[in-house]
This record gives sequence, structure tokens and C-alpha cells, in this order.
Amino acid sequence: MRSSPFLYFFTLQFFREYKNHLATTVISIALIFLLSAVLFISSSIKYSIDISLGAQADFVVERVRGGKKVDLPIEWIDTLLETRGVQKVTTRVHGRYFFEDKREWALIVGIDFMDEQSNRALEKLVESVDLEKFLFSSNMLVGDGVQRYLKEHFYPKGYNFLTPDGKYKKVSIFGTIPNSLNLMSNNMIIMPQELAKEILGIKKSMVTDLTLNVPNDNLWDSISDKIASLYYDIRVLTKREMQKAYENMYNYKSGVFLMLFLITMATFVLILYQRYSMVFSSQRRNIGLLRAVGWSIRDILKLKLYESLMVVLVSYVIGVSLAYLYVFVFDSPVLIDMFLGGENLDHKIKLIPVVDFGVLSSIFLIYTVAFIASVLIPTWSIAVTDPKEAML
Amino acid sequence: MSEILLNNQVIVYLVSESILFVLMLIALLPTIKIVIKWKFYSFSQEQFALEKRAYLVATIVDFIFVVKFFLLIYFVFTIDALSILVPGAMCAAGVVSANDYGMPLLFFKLLILFVMLLWMTLHRYDLEAKEYPFMRYKSWLFIAIFVLVVVEMLLEIGYFTHIDTRRVVSCCSALFGQLEGANPLPFGLDMLKMIIRFYLLYFVNIVALIARYRALTMTSSILFLIISYYSVVYFFGTYVYELPTHKCPFCMMQKEYYFIGYLVWGSLFGGVSISLVWAIMGSLFGIDKSIYRNISVLFISIFVLICTSYVVVYYFRNGVFL
Repeated sequence: MRSSPFLYFFTLQFFREYKNHLATTVISIALIFLLSAVLFISSSIKYSIDISLGAQADFVVERVRGGKKVDLPIEWIDTLLETRGVQKVTTRVHGRYFFEDKREWALIVGIDFMDEQSNRALEKLVESVDLEKFLFSSNMLVGDGVQRYLKEHFYPKGYNFLTPDGKYKKVSIFGTIPNSLNLMSNNMIIMPQELAKEILGIKKSMVTDLTLNVPNDNLWDSISDKIASLYYDIRVLTKREMQKAYENMYNYKSGVFLMLFLITMATFVLILYQRYSMVFSSQRRNIGLLRAVGWSIRDILKLKLYESLMVVLVSYVIGVSLAYLYVFVFDSPVLIDMFLGGENLDHKIKLIPVVDFGVLSSIFLIYTVAFIASVLIPTWSIAVTDPKEAML
Repeated sequence: MSEILLNNQVIVYLVSESILFVLMLIALLPTIKIVIKWKFYSFSQEQFALEKRAYLVATIVDFIFVVKFFLLIYFVFTIDALSILVPGAMCAAGVVSANDYGMPLLFFKLLILFVMLLWMTLHRYDLEAKEYPFMRYKSWLFIAIFVLVVVEMLLEIGYFTHIDTRRVVSCCSALFGQLEGANPLPFGLDMLKMIIRFYLLYFVNIVALIARYRALTMTSSILFLIISYYSVVYFFGTYVYELPTHKCPFCMMQKEYYFIGYLVWGSLFGGVSISLVWAIMGSLFGIDKSIYRNISVLFISIFVLICTSYVVVYYFRNGVFL
């Protein structure tokens, strides 16, 4: 049979009997939409984290005692700088500040505005601030989420932080951290290091951790070992390790979802098998007619498999497009909390649209293979029907 | 649970492979019945039932071939994406060599696709002939494919469950580049001699295909495959990367090199497989269709053209060879 009349017939048949495929298509769209939305969110967050990690220093040096992270003395900088290949050692002061209700918190980051920053995003931020005004009194820069929280709690211009000494420290809001910084800035407060130490209760001679750069990345492993042997309670984290940890975390989150999805998919496959067996058996007469006018078993198989493939393609295109709109245009309400957590400050995050080949092909593959595999046997069983038998 | 097994792409890959395996199992039973009870001239109910079931087997194999082809690309893509989780790995080369199952698995994947192509060709001619003359051969071949798929499945499980994410693996430069003076090329060849043989074998292969010399096609195709592999890794690849020390069969499949590796390896394996299928079909069953030879010539020529163009373009841009 030549292909063009076949395709012509297939198209007519598909549109004439579209009602048979409607329910399957709608469920398929819903399933593909849900899976795509989760994978889109996860890959977009991974991408954002990759960008922000890329802008960070190569190493973070911490002090760990009894498995707990503790502050470390500033003098460590000198020892670290003596190690060959190490550059740009900077101090970091940060910690969580719990607001009055002790449930919601902000991440206070203290930076030395006069020093060069190890993080490129912070470097840009410092450049945009009028330092003379900022450092004149106690000021801070706040993330979007923090600003909203403070406004709702009647602190539109500043906040009175309660320090561990029991005293109040008034800090004014100087401005907001630009959204473009990254998704981590939502619950962040940036202030001068000395002020941060006072609020977080860190001694003047101590810092939370240190960051450093090693421009030659071939030396990363050996320098990491060297630094780790400097003090008994030192812990060295490389950028690669952090990248891997994030990758694992989001793989885990979307992996668990994928597993649940597969269970749903397995149920759907069984339903599909039943449904197509029923639909096809109601078409026995049609198939019998086609066989009687000279169609071979192969032609019938082709016709029915094309129908299924059409359902898959239509559902895939619609499902993926809807998911794209939901995630990147409507900012994925509800589902995003699964990834970012909704327990702390409210976040309004614009996800960076990332659609990679891996995500698209994964969705297509898992759906198409399962769908077609489930209709293969019903298709065959109707295609081999004897024309005489079918007409009875 | 291993972090590798929670990777989305690994889950999708393993589930898809498992579905295909179940389909293979479904097709196995009728195939065994066909091997035992197939009698074309019999008018028994059983023979008619077998003929119908043969269609199921054919449909399943067609479907599996298409999916396996895409799964091979997806597999390479997946292990490339895993390189972030495996310390030391910069591309798929490191991840494949993370344990002893990786390379055999890749080999089995290519072998299965080749044998399936053979099955599908045989099936095509079987349908054209009215008496299904190749039904028994086809069924035996299917059983062979099933055995290969079982081994592949075991290798797959072994491979993905044994990737240690704490053990450092070698990256491609360590695997292919740093050989401490040892000659990695086959048959004791040096680079110039190998490249001369590469082009010679190409011409021999093309001539053998056009002149329908089956034995010569088979020999030259296999030799061309071996020499091409080494030529791409140790010579043409360096022009793709524009770096004389970068020798890797996998990195060229990355985005940085515009995924050209898929086209390079795809055209080579496609061309060589089809020429071998043509030669085997002719020698064993006396079947000769020129379309196979034409497609094979086209694929092999595309492969040689891509490889050569990288060297030529590099020379014109820089005025020197690497």
C-alpha cells in the first residue's frame, strides 16, 4: 500500500474516531504535565545553583568540633596564605537570626565592604552600594522575602535585633538585594562584618568560616589535603563537593517523585491495556472490512500503532507546553514548595527557563515506551482477526 | 540506595530497558513454539495460530529496535551527565570505566543493535517471499537476541549498582592520553601509516560494496571499523578538540563540540553494520538489494567526510597540522 493514501485514510480515521482517544489523551496530558513540571523546576533550580556556585570561591574552610561547626580564629588566614597556590583568602561571618516567633529566620551575612570579595555576585553588589552612606550608620541590605516579612510586622524602615547579650541593636534597611543575585538571596540580610558579629554573638577575633581560591584546578585535591592537615579540627569543602551535594539533593527530590510517578504510570498502563482491548474489539467490524478489501495484517498494525503514536505525540506536546507555562510563566505555585520548602519566609522566585535535552528526552522516552508497550498486544490481537470472523 | 540509582535519567533508562525486556519475554514463548512446530504447508489450527503469533514477534522486535536505538544515544548521554557525581570523571569515558561492566555493556549494546538489524532484514525478505522461508532462521536469531539482551540486562544492573561515587576514576586524558611512551595504535602502526590505511580501507570498502565482493566487504568493513576507531580517538579527535593532547572518544558528544560525536560514531557504526548485513545476507541466503549497499556507502562516506573536514578546516585556519 502506498503511503500517501494510507496517511490520508489514517488522518480521516483519527479525526472521525477522536472520541475514542479523548479520555486517554486527557489523562496522558495530565500525567506528562505533572512530570514535566517537576523536572522543569528541578533542572531550573539546579541550573541557578550551578550559576551561583560558579561565582563562589573554590574552597570553604570550616572548624568542626564534635561534629558541630564552630567559629574559627582570624589568624588562620596567615597560615592558609603560606600554602603555595592559595590566593584570595577572605573571612565570612554568617548565621541564622530567628525572629521573635522563633520559627522564621533570616540568614545574616556579614561582609567586609572595604575588602575584595571572593564571591563575584557579592562583588557586583558592593560596587553598586554607596559605601560612604552605608557605613556611616548601622545599615543592612535585605532580600525580598525578609523585606516582605519586616513590612508585614511593622518594621518598614529598620529592625531592632536582639543580640545574645540581651541588648537591642537597631539596624536600618538601606536597600534590597537585587533579585538577579540568585534564589538564595530571598531570606538574606547583608551587613558590615562587625555589626553581624555583634548580632550573631561572634567574638571580634573569630569568624564563621574562610574562603579561598586556587586558580590552578589541577592542584585542588593536593591543596585540599594540605590544608586539611594544618589543624586537627579543620574541614575543607571544595566547590565540586558542594556541586555534587546539590546535584544529589535535587536528584533525590525529583527521583522520589519520579518513583511515585512510575507507580502511577504502571496503573495507567494497565488501564490502557484494558481500554484499548475494549476499544479495539468494538472496531472488529471495521478491521474486518479493511482486511476484506485487501489490507494486510501489517497495514492494520501500522494504522493502529500510528493512532497510538499520535495520541502520545499530541499529549506530549500539549503536556510539556502547559508545564512550561505553569513553571516559567506562572512561577509554579504549590509545586515549588516541594523543592524550596515553604516553612520559612515566603518566597516569590522567578525560575530561570531551562529546558535541556536530558529532561525532554527523559519525559518522552518513559512515556512513549510505556504507552506503546501497553497497546502493542491489544493492537496485534485485533490486527490478526480473521475478516470472516469479524463480520459475523 | 546508591545516589546513581536516584538520578532521573538512570531511573528512566532502567525502567525503559525493563519494559523492553518484558516485551522480549512475551515474544520468546511464541518464538520457541515456532522453532519446534512451524510447518508452513500444514493446515492445522496450530499453524494458523503460529502465523498470527509471528506477527506479534515481528511487531515487538520492530518496536524494540527503534527504542533501543534511541536508548543507546540516551545511555551515552546519561553516563556523560553522571560524570558530575563520579570523582575524577570529566566525561562519559571516566564513568564507563568506573567498573568492569561499563565497556562490555557498551559493546553488547552495539552488538544487539547489529543482530536486530540482521533480524529485521531477514524479516523483510521473509514477508516478500510467500512461503516464509526464513521463519526458522529468524526464530533462532530471535532466541540469540534474547540471550544477548539477558546478558545486557545483567551487565546493566551490575554496572549501575557498582558505580562507586567515592572512588576516584581516571578521566579520558589518563585513559587515552598518558601512555608513558607506549604505542596505543593497533598492529604496531604509527600515526601516518594508520591514516594511510584508514583512507585505503575506505576506498577498498567502497569498491567492494559497489563491485559486490561480499567476502572483501566483510573483511574490509571489520578492519575499517577497528582502524577508524583508533584514527578518530588518536588523530581526528584531536582536530575536533583542537588540542593535540586531548584524546577521547566520548568528549566529542558534549555540547562544547556541538554533539558531533553522535554523528561521527553513528555514521561509522551505521555504515559498517549495514554493509556487514548486506554481505551476510548475500553469503548465507543469496539476498542482494542495492539499497543496503547505497546506504552503507553513503554513511561511510559521511563519516570519512566529517573526519577529513575537521583536519582540512583546522589546516586552513591555522596553517599547520597538529
